[in-house]
Amino acid sequence: MKQNLQSIQPVIMWKIARDEWRYWFRSKLAVVALLIGLTCTMLTVVVSVGDAFELEHQRGHAQQQSEQTFVNQPDRHPHRMVHYGHYVFKTPPPLGMVDPGVDSHTGNTIFLEGHRQNSATFADQKQSSGTTILGALTPAFVLQVLAPLLLVIMGYGVVSRERETQTLSILAAQGLGYGNLILGKISALLLVAMLMLLPLAISGIVVLSQGESLLTLSLFLVGYLLYLSIWILIIVSISLWAKSNSVSFSTLAFTWLVLCILMPRVATTVAGVMVPAAGKLEKDFAVVAELRQLGDGHNAKDKAFVQLEAELLKKHKVNRVEDLPLNFRGFVALKSEAEITSILNRYAEDRMHEELRQSFFARQFGWLSPQVALRTLSMLTAGTGLETHHRFLRETENLRFNFVQRLNQAHTNKLNYIDDMNRNKSEAAGQIARISAKNWNVIEGFKFRSSPSKERALQAMTPLAQLLLWFGMFGLFLRNLQRHYS
Amino acid sequence: MMRHLVREWRFLLGQNNVVILLCLCCALSSFAIYSGHQEIVAQHFTIERLQLAQQQDQQDILAKHKTPGSLAYYQFHLTYQTPSHLSFAALGDRDLYPWKHRIRMLALEGQIYESDVANPELAYIGKFDFSFLISVLAPLFVILMLHDIIANERNKGRYELLVVTASGSIVLWGYKTLVRFLALSLSMLAPFYIGSALNDVPLYDVLHVSILVLAYLAFWAALTLWFGRQSIFAPRIAATLIGFWVAVTCVIPITGNLLIEKNIEVPKGSEILLLQREIVNQAWDIPAETSLTEFVKTHPEYRVYTEMSEGFHWKWYYAFQQLGDQAVAHLAFDYRNAILTKFDLGGYIAMFAPPVLMRRQLSRMAQTDVISALRYEQSIRDFHQALRLYYYPYLFELHLFDESTLADMPQYSDFARL
Repeated sequence: MKQNLQSIQPVIMWKIARDEWRYWFRSKLAVVALLIGLTCTMLTVVVSVGDAFELEHQRGHAQQQSEQTFVNQPDRHPHRMVHYGHYVFKTPPPLGMVDPGVDSHTGNTIFLEGHRQNSATFADQKQSSGTTILGALTPAFVLQVLAPLLLVIMGYGVVSRERETQTLSILAAQGLGYGNLILGKISALLLVAMLMLLPLAISGIVVLSQGESLLTLSLFLVGYLLYLSIWILIIVSISLWAKSNSVSFSTLAFTWLVLCILMPRVATTVAGVMVPAAGKLEKDFAVVAELRQLGDGHNAKDKAFVQLEAELLKKHKVNRVEDLPLNFRGFVALKSEAEITSILNRYAEDRMHEELRQSFFARQFGWLSPQVALRTLSMLTAGTGLETHHRFLRETENLRFNFVQRLNQAHTNKLNYIDDMNRNKSEAAGQIARISAKNWNVIEGFKFRSSPSKERALQAMTPLAQLLLWFGMFGLFLRNLQRHYS
Repeated sequence: MMRHLVREWRFLLGQNNVVILLCLCCALSSFAIYSGHQEIVAQHFTIERLQLAQQQDQQDILAKHKTPGSLAYYQFHLTYQTPSHLSFAALGDRDLYPWKHRIRMLALEGQIYESDVANPELAYIGKFDFSFLISVLAPLFVILMLHDIIANERNKGRYELLVVTASGSIVLWGYKTLVRFLALSLSMLAPFYIGSALNDVPLYDVLHVSILVLAYLAFWAALTLWFGRQSIFAPRIAATLIGFWVAVTCVIPITGNLLIEKNIEVPKGSEILLLQREIVNQAWDIPAETSLTEFVKTHPEYRVYTEMSEGFHWKWYYAFQQLGDQAVAHLAFDYRNAILTKFDLGGYIAMFAPPVLMRRQLSRMAQTDVISALRYEQSIRDFHQALRLYYYPYLFELHLFDESTLADMPQYSDFARL
């Protein structure tokens, strides 16, 4: 082994790599494959970056408009504003340009209102033409699925070709050594991989200018490079192992099929069967059943609030609700919103937990397919995975609870109880039971950001370990094969 | 003929890689059918559980709310789309479009876009079902199995000998291809037949699917053989065929999709919601007569019942809920129409992309595609409209509302459609 290491000569390696490139330029198939690869990555990067800016602009604008409309509402009964509600929009993170992840499958708008947690609506995928069955037009898809295939088409014969034309023994006889030969072939393929990654690296500049940290961007790029390197190791190993070009190609094509097309879907399907998750609707019924115990917050006379009333009267040493220094209806709304929310949150957390368990299960298939590992790493570092969607749900829920409670506070302190009780007596009474529009200033500008880069980097450690394992495994495999032949 | 077939079958059994590929196909198909079946069983169970929970909920609501106004406000109605017999083979877009939903008598446009769907990460990656196996993977298996039939003999130097000695090219290549083709097709169809038996799929549908699958695979087999004669270099044949496969499964659909996306304007869904909310909420700030006058334009039978004795009356409340829906009806219609237009245009792209065409055919047969999703949505709309028509006479106090009238309340099951 020591001898092997010593005999590695960079000049020879370089010559072999150059020869491989020369061969590729003479072969129509390789040139076509290379051109397709480069065009696809370049095209997808350009289109996706353009789309991402448009999306960012659109949703940002919609967000601003929604906030303005809320603040500009006229004087009203405060509870009207609780139901008037507020819309928030999800803006994609900078790396979402290259890997939009689940964004197209989750809704990107949520309506926030009192007593309810609505789901995110209007997923883009619902408006799709139903033609994309394998993946969408994103750099992530091209590099994760198509790039390995192109590498296979270009590289299946790197060693088996030499063997078939019987130039392999000649090369060996010249004292070249298998080590140099293999490293040379690897370098040639690595250059192809780097070329395909180039547009992604360039888009990295745009991503950085959008505020992404260098840490996550590097991790992201390293992940892709590692992934394509794994494929190069697989290709060279099989090309070295195979008796003929034909066997090499069939084996590699089959490997690609299993690792890139089959495994990801088997992963989700097995996860779906093994870790069933109840839908939101089913949880809603359970929530409703629990809420019924709480009493209706719209009705201060509900039996459930009698005790609350008694406590409050005692505390303020008065005999009638009317004499309380606060509006009892508002107080009931405040209390019941808090209780409802704690129940809703418990079920929402439950649901998110179930979804995460499903996803974690599916992600374990990264040990069985580097594509699954890279996809997870890519989504997690980009902040476009399930975790980020959950973060969006939690943040919007926080926003919802805060503005609803501030409105309820205003209801409690700024609206007279008797006026409030008489609000439906006549239209004039309805006019009196209102508070000033100044109180609508309860929503802060919402801008969704994915979690801090360090957190995302930490989350990506498992898939990174999976990729490293693949890399190490095939590295060792290749070295043993090479020793076997030399 | 049988003699030739038996001979080729024996040859086939002698080739390890072919046998392995066949076993794999059968295993994958079995897995696809099994998981699809499990998924559909789970969906049926979910619907059953929901119905049970709904009944319980219904009883509680009915016990608590006696007036039509508050009953309509608090009572959620369960709607759902039962999976068809064939859906185990093509799960389609049921992980994207909701197939269960609860609605109440408020403005429908504010509720109908809520969706209770599966884990978005799993949906984004997609599921492995029979339709995916056939439309996407099976062509690759056909290519791997048939591309080197001729080239192999050439490479081994037997080609000339075989051509000279055999009585004809059909005897030579035809039987070999036929045996491999049939073995491959049956290895994938056999599990489907078991699944069909388990799911009571009508024989007609089973035949229809079989013919579709065989025709589709025959197309790929013919293509492979045709390419296979062009070259003696097996990897080149396979690479070109796989290149063609990439073109029709990825490049053409994705490019086509992009063209459609850029050219068909879909009204923004959020605009529907925002406008609807404005109309509904502004009703509280304008005189009640304005809303009621507007309302009776579409329901003239209540013209003489628009008087309001108090600041709040349920009839006014539900009237402006309907006005909210009316105000965005055209937007909502355009929205659905745009989705349908996109889907139809996708059909033209599918003409140039056989895998897409195949998948669309199967999900259409299984009623798990966009069209079915939109039909389900329409059934909810119809049901909601029926609820309104049921409640209005009571809300406007033309008739007295009591226990006996509850029996006439519309039931979703009468509106359900696939």
